[in-house]
Amino acid sequence: MLESLQYIYAPQIVNGLSIGVAVVLMALGLTIIFGLLDVINMSHGEFYAAGAFISVSLMAMGVSFWLCLLLVPLLLIPIGFAMERLLIQKVFHYKDRHILTLLLTFGVAMVLEDGYKIVWGANPIKPSAPISGASELLGVMFPNYRLFLMVFGALIIFSVWALIYKTQLGAIVRASAYDKDMSSSLGIPVMRVYALTFAFGVALAGLAGVLLAPIYSVFPTMGRDFILMAFSVVIVGGLGSIKGAVIAGILLTQLQSISSLFISPVWSDPLVFTVMVLVLMLKPTGLYGGMKNA
Amino acid sequence: MHNPQVKAIRLIEIFLLFSALALFVIGSFLGDTFFLRLATESLIFGGLAMSVDLLLGIVGLLSLGQALYFGFGAYLSALVLKEISPSFFLAIGVVTLSSIVLGWVASFIALRSKGVYFALITFGLAQVAAKVVYNTRSLGASDGMMGVPVLQIWTPFGFVDAGQPGAFFLITMLTIGALYAVLKYFLTTPMGSIWHAIRSNENRLAYVGYKAKGPKQVAFILAAVVAAVSGALYPMLRGFVSPELMFFSVSGNAVVTVVLGGVGTLIGPILGSVLLTSFKSIIGTWTVHHHIVIGLIFVVVVVSAPKGIAGLLAKYFGKTNSGKGGE
Repeated sequence: MLESLQYIYAPQIVNGLSIGVAVVLMALGLTIIFGLLDVINMSHGEFYAAGAFISVSLMAMGVSFWLCLLLVPLLLIPIGFAMERLLIQKVFHYKDRHILTLLLTFGVAMVLEDGYKIVWGANPIKPSAPISGASELLGVMFPNYRLFLMVFGALIIFSVWALIYKTQLGAIVRASAYDKDMSSSLGIPVMRVYALTFAFGVALAGLAGVLLAPIYSVFPTMGRDFILMAFSVVIVGGLGSIKGAVIAGILLTQLQSISSLFISPVWSDPLVFTVMVLVLMLKPTGLYGGMKNA
Repeated sequence: MHNPQVKAIRLIEIFLLFSALALFVIGSFLGDTFFLRLATESLIFGGLAMSVDLLLGIVGLLSLGQALYFGFGAYLSALVLKEISPSFFLAIGVVTLSSIVLGWVASFIALRSKGVYFALITFGLAQVAAKVVYNTRSLGASDGMMGVPVLQIWTPFGFVDAGQPGAFFLITMLTIGALYAVLKYFLTTPMGSIWHAIRSNENRLAYVGYKAKGPKQVAFILAAVVAAVSGALYPMLRGFVSPELMFFSVSGNAVVTVVLGGVGTLIGPILGSVLLTSFKSIIGTWTVHHHIVIGLIFVVVVVSAPKGIAGLLAKYFGKTNSGKGGE
């Protein structure tokens, strides 16, 4: 019993956690963008892919992986900012902007995905892990990179939480989400807050892309497979809720990795979606409310 | 015809009907295969887009998983044709009845949610179904099912060979046309008015004394039937089905088609499908990257003309109307 826990479950749990942390990063971006702008960013997966591709190119130019972790999100911020200002703002005043922004970001996703095929080709690229080797923990060997991923990701998630709930900047974002007219009359540049928040969310997706590139391969449709998981996490956790994204992210990735011990891995995705559908049926707004209620 | 939107719809209807008949006559005369089959395919996917428009444009529900019903219809039709009997009417009948049941069951899951949640739950449902089909060996798994027989379709004028591109184009046109007529009929009923009311303001509907739930469910089931019957035509044209038919790209393309053609017009999506399909095959001859072009066009349409081609036409008619000082 104890042995199976040690040798079968523990590695699977750690693997699930390392992926879970990256999923949570993606989901945080999605949920923050939704919480503030009410926009479902269908191109979020493509920005995750953007992060991975840019890091591949930067590393090919001799930039170290560690610098990429800093550079890639910084590079994505102006792109996200421009996209919000030039495209999303254009349809923001329509009554059915929920749907229009969803369609708009879907179109952007199509363009980006095909763009990656043109620039980087359709074949998967596999960057080597920046940390090699494995260390022993409780008598089981774990790859060092995955351990790093867990710790680093957890740090970022904590920083995002602290940024939103413990700083003045975060208070501005929450105020804009709560009541944009009132915030605007208090002198908050709401439009700029919108654009910057969108850019921030996109940068988080890019960071997840850099982090996961050495684990999965990098290919143009990589965002599409991953976004499904991120969407399920955001829905189960409750759109706009940071706490929900973290809890649901860990739970769902654990469900996926532990269930794959018992059932064929191809069935673990349907299982995750089934859980998502069940949660939506029982509690249509997800486990936790939005950022506005926090 | 005071309403510019009605005028735009009528114009698109006439344009599509005449170009279809012209294509049929010229195509059959020249013995063409390529264009007739391309047009047939665009009508089939037009039917799918029409079902998306029924939900999005009429009731105000964005479905991101309509390919689920399309793929269901395609697989079921292929199964019936292969295993039971190669009969057009049997396949269509079985698909219609089963899609009513499927739509009814799915409506209990999907209609519990609204707005973006509805979009995401339909997306999730379709993904689950696609993965299940993709991994089910008895349905051919990732290869799909091949070898659907070429049909001999009974008509009052004798049997028609569906292998003939012209004949099957006509059959498809009649089928999609019938679906369009059914939806148009529903719009004239009181239920049609309630659908429009739901789209305008669902909460206020209760104050007027109507329940939104029933009519929404009917619309959802109807959309499932339209998508499934359109899907049922697919294996008859192609001779095979594959799990790709259920993938998100199919649902997504249908939404693009609807927005391009004109949301809420039902006929706009057919026009959009004809345009997109021909566009894809034209671009396809000189680049494989047609998505980037379609994506760009789509983004431009959403930003500058969110009501699509039909919306532009209606705007034009509205202008000429007011130019004459109104009719």
